[in-house]
Amino acid sequence: MCQQSLQALTHVSHAQIDEGELRVSLDFTLIFRILIFPGFTFILLLTMFCDWVERKIEARMQNRIGPMYTGPAGVLQPLADFIKLLIKEDIVPFNVRNFVFKFAPIISLSFFIFSFVFLPIDGANIIFDSCFEGDLILVLTLVSIANFLLFLSGWSSTNPYSVIGATRVLTQLTAYDIPLFILALAPAFLAGSLSISTIVSRQHIPFALMIPWAFALFIVALQAELEKDPFDVPHAETEIVAGYETEYTGRRLAFLKLAKDVQIVLGAAIAVELFLGGPHGPVFYGSSAFWCTLWFTFKLLVVIAFTEYLTCIFARLRIDQVLSVNWRLLLPLSLLSLAAAAGVSLWLNPLWR
Amino acid sequence: MRDVSVVLKDLSNILGSKMIQTRILRPEKIYMRVQVGAHRDAIKFILKRDEDAGISAITGVDLGEKIELMYHIRTHGTIITIGTEVSKNNAKIESITDLIPGANFHEREVSDLLGVIFEGHPDPKRLILPEDWPRNIFPLRKDAPITNIPSKMGDSECSGDVKQVSGDERLINVVMGPQHPALIEPERFSLRVEGEIVRQVEPRIGYVHRGIEKATENRTYLQNIYLVERICGICNAAHTVCFCQAVEAIMGVNIPPRAKYLRTIILELNRIHSHMLLLGHAGLEIGYETLFHYIWRDREPIMGIMENLTGNRVITSFITIGGVRRDLREEYIPIIKTELDKLKDKMNFYRRLFENDSTIKVRTKGIGVLSKQDALKLCVVGPVARGSGVRIDVRKDEPYAAYNEIEFNVITYDDGDSWARFMVRLDEIVESINIIQYALNHLPSGPYRVRVPRTVPAGEAISRVEAPRGELFYYVKSNGSSYPERVKIRTPTFSNIPSFIHIAEGCNIADVPAIFASLDPCFSCTDR
Repeated sequence: MCQQSLQALTHVSHAQIDEGELRVSLDFTLIFRILIFPGFTFILLLTMFCDWVERKIEARMQNRIGPMYTGPAGVLQPLADFIKLLIKEDIVPFNVRNFVFKFAPIISLSFFIFSFVFLPIDGANIIFDSCFEGDLILVLTLVSIANFLLFLSGWSSTNPYSVIGATRVLTQLTAYDIPLFILALAPAFLAGSLSISTIVSRQHIPFALMIPWAFALFIVALQAELEKDPFDVPHAETEIVAGYETEYTGRRLAFLKLAKDVQIVLGAAIAVELFLGGPHGPVFYGSSAFWCTLWFTFKLLVVIAFTEYLTCIFARLRIDQVLSVNWRLLLPLSLLSLAAAAGVSLWLNPLWR
Repeated sequence: MRDVSVVLKDLSNILGSKMIQTRILRPEKIYMRVQVGAHRDAIKFILKRDEDAGISAITGVDLGEKIELMYHIRTHGTIITIGTEVSKNNAKIESITDLIPGANFHEREVSDLLGVIFEGHPDPKRLILPEDWPRNIFPLRKDAPITNIPSKMGDSECSGDVKQVSGDERLINVVMGPQHPALIEPERFSLRVEGEIVRQVEPRIGYVHRGIEKATENRTYLQNIYLVERICGICNAAHTVCFCQAVEAIMGVNIPPRAKYLRTIILELNRIHSHMLLLGHAGLEIGYETLFHYIWRDREPIMGIMENLTGNRVITSFITIGGVRRDLREEYIPIIKTELDKLKDKMNFYRRLFENDSTIKVRTKGIGVLSKQDALKLCVVGPVARGSGVRIDVRKDEPYAAYNEIEFNVITYDDGDSWARFMVRLDEIVESINIIQYALNHLPSGPYRVRVPRTVPAGEAISRVEAPRGELFYYVKSNGSSYPERVKIRTPTFSNIPSFIHIAEGCNIADVPAIFASLDPCFSCTDR
């Protein structure tokens, strides 16, 4: 149904452009979609909300109560933290590589947010025409580049903790990007397309049910990519303080933390799009965009709750153990699961045609 | 004791005229005065006779013209003290670090605080005093000025290891502390790392040294109880019991049986809460926050029991010279028992967790191995030693309080790794619960304290207590007034830090916090 609405919307917008008269109102829709919903503002609010959910789940699992006082049940706490950091003094240490140090967090954040453009959130992409054959690879590449910028932010700090944290980011990134890419290709095989929108639209049954092994491995690789327990070595606070964030203060730290939070939401969102059928779900009444957003958020929270559960039940591994898990276990398994998915797709693909 | 008397007889034969005098330190500790230089022969002989012997402490006492040095050697489960005297103006003596590597820190401490130079010491740097402390003021000497100490010498005078950067290009100096998330208390450890591997560890303690040994000399015995209690918040009962035992030994006071049992109960409650604190902290260090929160939640009932028993959660102020300060209410005994039974069930759960959880095992098994030989050589104490298979426990070796009447096991593990040290503590919690339950069931009736005079007769005493972190050592010298002449405190962590330097070299940097936690360091103890 959402697919139909998507087509209808694109159709309308094309018609509008052809007519040339309603261009102003079209631009307004576009600006609204980019800036407010489901673009920038929505993504940031969603990030803050997910952050709150994460903190609440973790707290309840650890016999704590979590944030309580800012807003109802503490839901405004992430926002309050963000604003607090914004108004704090901004210290740039003496010896840092100035340009990289200052801009890496912001560029990294913008890359993560830009990646959302290619994800259907309310049934359609943020910019209607933005999907193309191969945008899955673009999104994954953007995520890698943004991660690399996080590495640069630590590397430019010239602080031993930051440098060690940064090298750990890079080591972990090079290791876990490979299985993540491979596993992201499994749904692409099933759908017979490298476009995220197409993959979503072809999930009449969520791929997580058809290739559960690939989904499970994807979550593990995602856990490493998002630097959560048991793979949170890059910012293991008892070893290297805050890792690559150590020298950051004030608004730069705020943006660095926001970038990390957006990355978590983005990672979960990619998992939702590729394996859980994206924003699609039963629409009961009213606007399908509303229901799609609701389903998308719900599935997102399910993925985040699950990763948070994993975070709570494991101790942190060591960087060498993290790597040996990857090269010895995850990479061969992901190759196998890709092969299996390709096998499944052999009898599945004719169904699309 | 029979072994000891044989050793002493042989020892006096060997030393011959170099031995000046033998006397008894209370309670039943042998003191042997020898000539300068002969102390090495005596220690060598004791080490040859008993391979498990180690050094407990080195006490220096300012006698006016001379400085008396006492080497407290731990052997056959008791302490033999070898004493010698050096002149104050030319205070030099041969080092024994080559005989007992564990004496390293003890000698550096004496050298810092009393100005005795140990010739042949491998690393005679400052350990406790700040780098800019004047070179000619030694705080523990009686003539040292207490006020108007010239502060802040020029930078050129500082020989701090801050500026010493290793010549090797591949090594990065990663400084742990004085402020670091893995250390709750401020001490510094410079790790020279090559990639992720630690090649060298440079410790620096003394950041929060409070001069408590000196401060005791200006306070009455009664005031001192509350002073030594504040050396360490976690094991405060061990400190007060140890101090009070020493003073009671000098006075010749026997405390009533009920007081002995109550002391045992509070000591074991202290041990349980200290071990649980450490195990939770260990969870935090290996990135297992859930474990941390769970164990600390389960520790709360123990704090509640302590509050009900003594009136305070942490600093209990329960012990006094001659007994304890409060009695245990009869109606509260069943409540303690049920709480302890609940805790016992939970300890089974944690034991299963530590035995089966794969991430915990991967982070602690085979990590930070301290072999039995090294443990003996470095003279480590407490759970660290027992985790390496060294069977020392003051509660068994020299029972104090009511430990001679209560059955319990000394837990040892032979693995010597971080995991073994955690398991020792887990099992000791269960043993402690059993001890408390036995003590509650067999609590004698009668008074819980005897009144003692304010002044203490002249005399010396050595007291040892098995604190949660290991053997706690007190030497108290009284001159007959109501102020002590000298109180020497050697805390367990002070003996255990050298083992950290030994273990950490060659380890992965990510394992350093876990190893560190497994030693359960307490720096407020170390910097008394």
